[in-house]
Amino acid sequence: MNRATSMSAPLGRWARGIQVVVLMVVLFAPILWMAMAGFKSRVDITRYPPTLFFTPTLDNYRELFVRTDFLENTLNSFIVAAGSTLLGLLLAVPAAFAISWHRLVWPATLTLFARMAPGTLFLLPWFIMFSKVGLSGTHAALIITHAVITLPIALWTLLPHFDGLPRELTESAQIDGCRSLDILLRIALPVVMPGLIVATILSFIFSWNYFLFALVLSGISSKTAIVASFNFIGEGVTNWGSLMAAATVIAAPPIVLTFLIQRRLVSGLSFGAVKG
Amino acid sequence: MTQPAQRVASLHWMMWPAVAFVAVMVIFPFGYAFWLSLLDYKIGQSDAFIGAGNYRALLVDPQFWNGLKLTFILYVGALVIQLVLGVALGVLLHQVETLKGLVRTVMVSPFMLPPVVVGMMSIVVLDPGMGVANYLLKSVGLPPSLFLASNDFVIFTVILIDTWQWAPFVALIVLGGLQSLPTRVYEAAAIDGAVGWRRFVYITLPMLGPTIVTAAVLRSVDLLRFFDVIYITTQGGPGYASSTLNIYAYRKGFEFSDIGYASALMITLSTIVFGAVLVFSQLRRKVAW
Repeated sequence: MNRATSMSAPLGRWARGIQVVVLMVVLFAPILWMAMAGFKSRVDITRYPPTLFFTPTLDNYRELFVRTDFLENTLNSFIVAAGSTLLGLLLAVPAAFAISWHRLVWPATLTLFARMAPGTLFLLPWFIMFSKVGLSGTHAALIITHAVITLPIALWTLLPHFDGLPRELTESAQIDGCRSLDILLRIALPVVMPGLIVATILSFIFSWNYFLFALVLSGISSKTAIVASFNFIGEGVTNWGSLMAAATVIAAPPIVLTFLIQRRLVSGLSFGAVKG
Repeated sequence: MTQPAQRVASLHWMMWPAVAFVAVMVIFPFGYAFWLSLLDYKIGQSDAFIGAGNYRALLVDPQFWNGLKLTFILYVGALVIQLVLGVALGVLLHQVETLKGLVRTVMVSPFMLPPVVVGMMSIVVLDPGMGVANYLLKSVGLPPSLFLASNDFVIFTVILIDTWQWAPFVALIVLGGLQSLPTRVYEAAAIDGAVGWRRFVYITLPMLGPTIVTAAVLRSVDLLRFFDVIYITTQGGPGYASSTLNIYAYRKGFEFSDIGYASALMITLSTIVFGAVLVFSQLRRKVAW
């Protein structure tokens, strides 16, 4: 290393440190601002110039949960996210096992098609289909449609894990006369458990976050927290405090779950195209 | 060589439930949407086969061309900014060793937030009157902006919001790519005297090619069919100033109940998305090293 670079190294380190701090502030400040606004009184939230210091209050949360159906909406979100995660996994786990074992390409590509098509494309046909079979506005309709989101995510998260499974393990079990379902449940599944956990969490987050399908297909009794808070905006609710309290409640589950799988998050989201 | 006593059984049946599900929920609706696009179908008004009529109508619809233009501006603008920023941030993070866990946590937070939360946050932060964004602009001597309420600036505000949310995602993909690069190439380059910018332009960037194309594909799919944040913040307004193709199709279908025409718009958009994916997958093969 020459003299010039060794002289500038500490300076470069400081410059980089400052850049990272600025980046962190830009990314995190709006989220923090939102969470804080949920605890501000009506006066503090519209105060100009905006203030960082205020007396926190729970009024917004009280209004949100007592005066609106937000608690029920949140419960609906949980039912739909959990239901579609389960349905997605029930379909994706055996499929990933078979696709990986037989080295197939087309079924995996088929599910990518589901991931890439604009959601609006399906809305009108689904709307008509669900009306015909009498499922309009039910939790079941939302669980089924959200499984269109969770199935490709689970499948593509699981594939590399199944690919890493030693073939001898499955082959010898088959020769010993195990039924293929037993092989999947007793032998393969325990080995791919880390992948299954990531698939479950990613599926839940994506189903929880999804807006469009529930916007059109949910009924009064199945309205999710996401759609309910969108309606708050539409109703011209000028109470920003409650709006931000709702946003904070909706943001909490995905953020908490994200902490658990940070390291595998990016590779999971990029459908196997990136090793994270 | 000993042959296995029994032939290893087929597991094909295990994938059929998933394939059947995709067929019923994705492939069939796609065909159904294509069929609807050939109809003059307005709920409670008309229901007749008109062949390519909707597609012909599309060509002379100024709102379609407006939607196409907005989709293109949003797509190219956001993609270029996010790729440039993503690579820059990825390189920056690659050089920073301290507090890696904390930095990663903050980096993933924006793109794991529900879009509706990002939308609500934007409405409050970017409010022209009381929002903190205009307060900050004024306090450093810059003119305030109408942001989402501005006809001319709304699509750029959407680009800004999406960049805040997704540039960190690109950065983390690039970081993953950088961490998997062989270090001996760098050592050889250092001996040859390639440092700083020269090293970045002639060595790092070409080797990152496949990673960058991957990030571009993932962002392309999301940007071309971008819906949530626009619909939540502006519903395509003011007027049609943020009605991208996807938003315009949704409005046609669900605000005006023009099922046939909306389906034609959605089929057109889907074709564009799949076209972009095909182009990128060809590109991916070219830049592979």
